[in-house]
Amino acid sequence: MDNLKELSKIQQYAAQCMKCGFCSFFCPVYQEERTETSVARGKNYLVREILAGRQEFTKEMADIIGKCLLCKRCVVNCPSKTQIDRVVVGARAEMVNKKGLGFIKDFAFRKVMADRKKFGRYVKLAQKFQWMLPKTEGKIRHLPDFIKGLGKRNIPEIADRFLRDMVKEVNKPQDGKAPVMKIGFFSGCAMDFVAPETGLKIIDFLTKKGVEVVYPQDQNCCGAAIYFSGDFETGRKLAEENIKAFEKFDYVVTGCGTCSSTLKDYAKYLSENEDQQKRYDAFAKKVKDLTEFVVDVMKINLEELKLKKEFEGKTATWHDPCHLVRYQNIKDQPRAILKALKGLKFAEMPNADMCCGMGGSFSVYHYDLTKKIADKKMAGIKATNADIVVTACPGCIINLQDNVIRSKMPQKVYHFLELVE
Amino acid sequence: MIKESSIEQFKQIVGKDNVLTSKESLKSYSYDGTTSWIHEPDVVLFPTSTQEISAIMKIANAEKIPVTPRGGGTNVSGGSVPIEGGIVMCFTKMNKIIKIDKENLTATVEPGVVLMDLNMALAREGLFFPPDPQSFLGATMGGIIAENAGGPACVKYGVTKQYILGLEVVLANGDVVNLGGRTLKNVVGYDLMHIFISSEGTLGIISRAELKLNPLPKAKKTIMAVYADVAVAGESVYRVLENGVIPDKIEFLDNWVINRIEEMMPMGLPKDADAVLLFECDGIPESVEKEVEQIVEITKKHGAIDVRVAKDQAEADRYWLARRAGFAAVFGKAATVLAEDVTVPRNKMPDLIRKCKEVAKKYNLEITVLGHAGDGNLHPSILTDINNKEAYDRALKGLDEIIEATVELGGVLSGEHGIGLEKQKFFRRVIDPNVTNLMKGIKQLVDPNNIMNPGKIW
Ligand SMILES: Cc1cc2nc3c(=O)[nH]c(=O)nc-3n(C[C@H](O)[C@H](O)[C@H](O)COP(=O)(O)OP(=O)(O)OC[C@H]3O[C@@H](n4cnc5c(N)ncnc54)[C@H](O)[C@@H]3O)c2cc1C
Ligand code: SF4
Ligand code: SF4
Ligand code: SF4
Repeated sequence: MDNLKELSKIQQYAAQCMKCGFCSFFCPVYQEERTETSVARGKNYLVREILAGRQEFTKEMADIIGKCLLCKRCVVNCPSKTQIDRVVVGARAEMVNKKGLGFIKDFAFRKVMADRKKFGRYVKLAQKFQWMLPKTEGKIRHLPDFIKGLGKRNIPEIADRFLRDMVKEVNKPQDGKAPVMKIGFFSGCAMDFVAPETGLKIIDFLTKKGVEVVYPQDQNCCGAAIYFSGDFETGRKLAEENIKAFEKFDYVVTGCGTCSSTLKDYAKYLSENEDQQKRYDAFAKKVKDLTEFVVDVMKINLEELKLKKEFEGKTATWHDPCHLVRYQNIKDQPRAILKALKGLKFAEMPNADMCCGMGGSFSVYHYDLTKKIADKKMAGIKATNADIVVTACPGCIINLQDNVIRSKMPQKVYHFLELVE
Repeated sequence: MIKESSIEQFKQIVGKDNVLTSKESLKSYSYDGTTSWIHEPDVVLFPTSTQEISAIMKIANAEKIPVTPRGGGTNVSGGSVPIEGGIVMCFTKMNKIIKIDKENLTATVEPGVVLMDLNMALAREGLFFPPDPQSFLGATMGGIIAENAGGPACVKYGVTKQYILGLEVVLANGDVVNLGGRTLKNVVGYDLMHIFISSEGTLGIISRAELKLNPLPKAKKTIMAVYADVAVAGESVYRVLENGVIPDKIEFLDNWVINRIEEMMPMGLPKDADAVLLFECDGIPESVEKEVEQIVEITKKHGAIDVRVAKDQAEADRYWLARRAGFAAVFGKAATVLAEDVTVPRNKMPDLIRKCKEVAKKYNLEITVLGHAGDGNLHPSILTDINNKEAYDRALKGLDEIIEATVELGGVLSGEHGIGLEKQKFFRRVIDPNVTNLMKGIKQLVDPNNIMNPGKIW
């Protein structure tokens, strides 16, 4: 036990499971594989076995612990509220401690991602090779594996210019008046490298509403792909950098649902002492997802939002990112926005809160499973007859768009703010 | 140990992806919903057809390898724990709903179909399978039939055995037999089908079932009645029924459970109440209204201190969610839980509850009670810790007394969870040896090599 530092921290959560098996009904991975090691109950039991000294950190154990989307569907539906996400992430961290990073997966780009500048260079390199590949649809192309590790899939083109090269550090309110509020804008990697236009759109929107938007250049990746894989050390480095970068702001706003949740959760996963706990907690309080910032903080009169012309008469359906609906309990705000947009029809899909199957690096290692899980999402989208799919996490957008194309469906996937004039 | 060559044969039968032998996999098929029964199998197999099951059984029978069937592994009696090792035959991948017959109100299913999935498919046709074990999110039809499961709705609708028209069973030697049929009436020789219902996987493998269904009721209403005294609550139950009102559910929560639920998810249950009864009425809207009125009147007349009718489905759902959370509340609070499943004639329920309270005092134990009051099936649970010998011994003594009181009151050991391993000790004590011998004779006849879920029941 003494030598199981990370696991001993989550022992209390592992102990909560009463083995009722209810989670099997909700787990997207179990629903495909239907074996006990796919589901929370099994993973949790094996972690308890490690804690009891009866199970080693084997390769298979690493695979079992790796094969979880961290979607938290099991957690919110568990009658004893067993926090499997913490158990899984804690086990990954312990494994990293014991066996090193490479054991779980050869995560070459982990180190790269943690260095924003270097990551940018790699991404630029990938971009140079894009022309060699067939263009599939609009901005979507097949990209070479070497940077993505994503296999053959429809992923978005890397932007010509990154967001951070395009925006000024300080963006004043457009009406020239004194700002009603001053915020720090956290872009997140996807918005920086793949969808900078969404980032620009957000800044434009907020400055129109009288907000001063500052884009600190020394912000880094939020750390999701890194600390959810168990690399807490790098995670802490990123946490410290981001906290520092946003020190002087009352609000840290991001348009990426995964980022907002990841930034808020530093305290939950990474803090090792009281000082860290305090600072991470304080930071979490400042972080707002764009959806909640617009509705709950700015309290914008939603009736005044204008729909962009191109969406006039269209039907939209909403996909709940796991990191919004279950990590932050944000589900009403985005719906309120969509429903308020005059000229847009809203159709709820039957499985709106079902994970899209991406799960960050999960989809890199289990793309076949990702596709099967996404197939169910696609069926839900089809059932609504919607013209467009709207969400608030670039990760989901990438995965949903990939699968819409793969399924030969007509829909396009948008960040919700892209609908607003 | 199983011979390497047998494992190879299994791989040929079900495909290598459906044969698990890694240490991690075996561990994850070593448990069920109990806290104390654990044993690893030597191999886990996932057949997907009757032919595959039959082929596996032929080898197992020739090699005398124990076979423990497993559905969702949600039972709370040790039933699906492979206590003698060998094969765990898991049906989670054999889960097709073969047919829903709206005209005859029947459905044909494979054993691995999860009850919730079935009821979702049936609801689209305006139908439902009435027995409602509260583990419906994980329990499979095979396990439900093998345990003759039942839930709250048993008051009005009965238990699983009343909804099985026919079974296809693979016997220990691999032979496939069809028992029962597709008709409501069927008197052709001995009723062998019912021997396999509640056989806990010790007689054969249920590979397909023909189910009887009901049309979904048009209306439903939930009533919560609060009591200052457990015994008064118990009386209310039979007063309601005596007056000719048959709700589909009558559930019981004691003060301890009420408070734990309120801690986990505050939902406005009265914390100082000694007991709460939840009633649900279903049927055509007019009769539901009438029944609700009557229940409110009767419960008030017979000592309820507060009676609330859920104003909409959302409020009703909250009450039932609380009832389901009851189980978690109990299990989440102690290292070891001795969860009983005793059942007494309805009018003896207050006596049994009183007995539980006495026992708790006498042995200084924490005992909670919740259960299906409508049918006298209670789940007194003793919270203890198997690693604390002194406390555990006290718990076992208390348990003994509760069981004895149950039998004295004319009740039975298990209403729905089965005997498995957990209740063997008591089974031996209370079942007439002549009856046990009859059971053993049947077992010997259909499974002469004793390979089907060995070590269970007696
Ligand atoms: C929280 C909770 C609540 C519960 N509530 C109820 C309740 O209200 N009412 C109730 O009755 N039970 C209840 N149970 C107990 C349990 O869920 C039931 O016994 C259920 O029927 C078991 O189904 P399963 O698929 O999980 O079977 P398993 O647990 O996998 O197996 C149960 C038994 O059936 C045998 N079996 C499984 N499949 C087959 C097959 N195809 N052929 C032959 N034998 C087979 C197994 O060998 C074993 O002996 C509850 C359990 C939990 C954890
Ligand atoms: S639902 Fe919760 S308590 Fe039940 S098996 Fe899953 S994790 Fe354990
Ligand atoms: S977090 Fe999601 S993928 Fe992981 S065990 Fe829970 S339900 Fe399954
Ligand atoms: S979590 Fe993903 S989208 Fe967010 S900053 Fe990190 S890599 Fe980028």
